[in-house]
Amino acid sequence: MPKPEKVIVKIENVHKAYGKEEVLKGISMDVCEGEVVVLVGPSGTGKSTLLRCINQLTIPDSGKVWVDGVELTNPKTDIDKARQHIGMVFQDFNLFNHLTTLDNIMLGLIHVMGMKKEEARDKALLELKRVGLANKSENYPGQLSGGQKQRVAIARSLAMDPIVMLFDEPTSALDPELIGEVLTVMKDLAVGGMTMICVTHEIGFARDVCSRIVFMEHGEIVEEGNPDKMLNHPDLPRTKQFLGKITELH
Amino acid sequence: MSFFEYLKIALPQIWVGLMITFRVSFVCLLIGMALGFPVALARVYGPKWLRWLVTGYVEVFRGTPVLVQLFLIYYGLPQFGITFSPFTSAYLAIGLNSGAYQSEYFRGAIQAISGGQMMAARSIGMTRMQAIRHVIIPQAFRFAIPSWSNEAVSMVKISSIVYLIAVPEMLYVAKLLMSKYYNVLQTYLLVGLVYLLVIGLMTLLLNEIERRTTIPGLEIAKRGS
Repeated sequence: MPKPEKVIVKIENVHKAYGKEEVLKGISMDVCEGEVVVLVGPSGTGKSTLLRCINQLTIPDSGKVWVDGVELTNPKTDIDKARQHIGMVFQDFNLFNHLTTLDNIMLGLIHVMGMKKEEARDKALLELKRVGLANKSENYPGQLSGGQKQRVAIARSLAMDPIVMLFDEPTSALDPELIGEVLTVMKDLAVGGMTMICVTHEIGFARDVCSRIVFMEHGEIVEEGNPDKMLNHPDLPRTKQFLGKITELH
Repeated sequence: MSFFEYLKIALPQIWVGLMITFRVSFVCLLIGMALGFPVALARVYGPKWLRWLVTGYVEVFRGTPVLVQLFLIYYGLPQFGITFSPFTSAYLAIGLNSGAYQSEYFRGAIQAISGGQMMAARSIGMTRMQAIRHVIIPQAFRFAIPSWSNEAVSMVKISSIVYLIAVPEMLYVAKLLMSKYYNVLQTYLLVGLVYLLVIGLMTLLLNEIERRTTIPGLEIAKRGS
């Protein structure tokens, strides 16, 4: 695979602590255009924190983050404007419960992008179609299955025309038989050239579509590399042990 | 005088009193909501100094009897040259008191909404204010309806204390009737019955509002089964 050139996400020496607990101990990472990076590691390792430090939902204690050339850690940056183009998908979906799926997608289009209602509706329907849920446009989140909810959440992010998508354990809250439909949507995105950073233990997904697996532990990057190297002949025994274990499970 | 003859005399007067009870309750509930909702938002989302300020207000008004507050405003303030009519005093005291309670109901409702809702709203580029307005508030109002109904129902009963500063609401009318006809049992039974009827109707109405604003798909979660 030819290495893409343009750096979309640049993370430089990011630290984050909660009280005395140091969650991120100086993480640095570049993600290039079209790259799909999978973050793996034991729970409590700081993968989700790292993801949230990228779009500044969590503010790092120190270090810098750039997305598409804009330094988000600079206090002068209009962070709301920047976040608009950084899609984020959560483990527990976080759909707006009081709105239909269509309105969930339209909300940002109208209030953030400033679209007219009709225009927003058309775009929202298009995004729902993309995740195969056009027939659920008038349903409320409470009336959907977990897999459907997550697909709507992905559509909601995609509607904002993101330059990068962050996935925070998108399938961890799903029943096993519903994981496939969400992974299919994610694979389509990856194949379509979307830049993606995914915290997930779906090794099949990582093997099939990702360009790089990053193994994190105790707030540090232990080892990274392409899936073939990481899954078949990693440099470190710890990487082999961990990835071997989750490959068995998934 | 037979009971029915008495009813004929008493009911029209009780009706007038009931209208005043409604007026006081309604105004106080409105004042309470106008205060309580922003106070709740301030307590959850406001800067530290504001949180302290509004917490002080809530604790003072919840920590003292509403009757004390009423008397302080009606009898106490004139000593500083501030005089309010009985109606205004009633609105102020009970409205401020209700605001403190309502803010707690609204705060509970806001805090019952998961932090993920705010995160999701911010992640699509909404500002904090936009997220509060379009995501948090619409859900918080719905969550608050059951406890707010409770406040509305008790307001109708609590408002009766304003008879002590001569606001001619239902209980005041009852007192007048009694001093004229010495019909203690019948008068109080009658007034009690009217309260029961009114509150029964209110409860039906509020339940209907709750039913209509329930978010589809969340009914089961709400029932807690």
